[in-house]
Amino acid sequence: MTIKRALAFPLLVLWRAFFWTYDRATWQYDLWVIAILAFVWVTPPSWLGDPMASGPGPIGWILDKLAGR
Amino acid sequence: MTFTGTIGAICMYPLRGIIRLSVALKIHPNVLTLVGVIINMLAAWALGVGHFVSAGAIMIVANIFDFIDGKVARERNLETLFGGFWDSVMDRFSDITLFIGLIYLYAHLERVDYVIVTALTMMFSVMTSYTRARAESLIEKCKVGFMERPERIVLFMIGALTNRMAAVLWVILVLSVATVADRIYFTWRELNRSPKVEEILEQRIAGQQ
Repeated sequence: MTIKRALAFPLLVLWRAFFWTYDRATWQYDLWVIAILAFVWVTPPSWLGDPMASGPGPIGWILDKLAGR
Repeated sequence: MTFTGTIGAICMYPLRGIIRLSVALKIHPNVLTLVGVIINMLAAWALGVGHFVSAGAIMIVANIFDFIDGKVARERNLETLFGGFWDSVMDRFSDITLFIGLIYLYAHLERVDYVIVTALTMMFSVMTSYTRARAESLIEKCKVGFMERPERIVLFMIGALTNRMAAVLWVILVLSVATVADRIYFTWRELNRSPKVEEILEQRIAGQQ
């Protein structure tokens, strides 16, 4: 398998994710929605310097627990 | 049925009742559109003073009006070209008003970084609509890109109700930039009849290239 061919699949996935042509309420749409909600709710507000929200968020909480804090 | 399809179907139950009520009360769809904008201004004020949960709740009410106006117009056979134009223009006012509320808040908090993030998000949100409108004066349809108005509004409500506005702004910004780029590229491709990148990649996967 050539490198060109091996890279084609991930490039196609990325291309289809950003050059969006799917309708709403398709499984591809669901995947994007889940990824977005995960980013919004899981990313610690402090990582983004959120002016209104504070605290570590779920990721920070898990990291704290794993570190035994 | 998909996850988002199920949520959409559940939300449609109460909305059908509101649509029937608006039809029974003979409220003109253009009035519903205007009421939606006015309520959105209240949401923008709530955002501006940092009352995110109230802003989220007000946005839900405002967007019910915004959602049902077209449906009421159809039910009452009041669909007009001007109604479509009025709806689009009022949508831009609603969008920009909410962003101004956030810009005021971040300016008040002396957070220049988020003033700029919000301003850029506002710019690309407006450009998302403009690129499609302008493209469709040249080609038949330009409905590409993920971050359209319904996605933006739902994300705004989620950001306000769960106090995750910064993350929401970043998501809207990045995906709006991608959507504007999609629409520019799509229009260029349609006007120049260039080969599709996805078809080239699919041929490569199939080993034909």
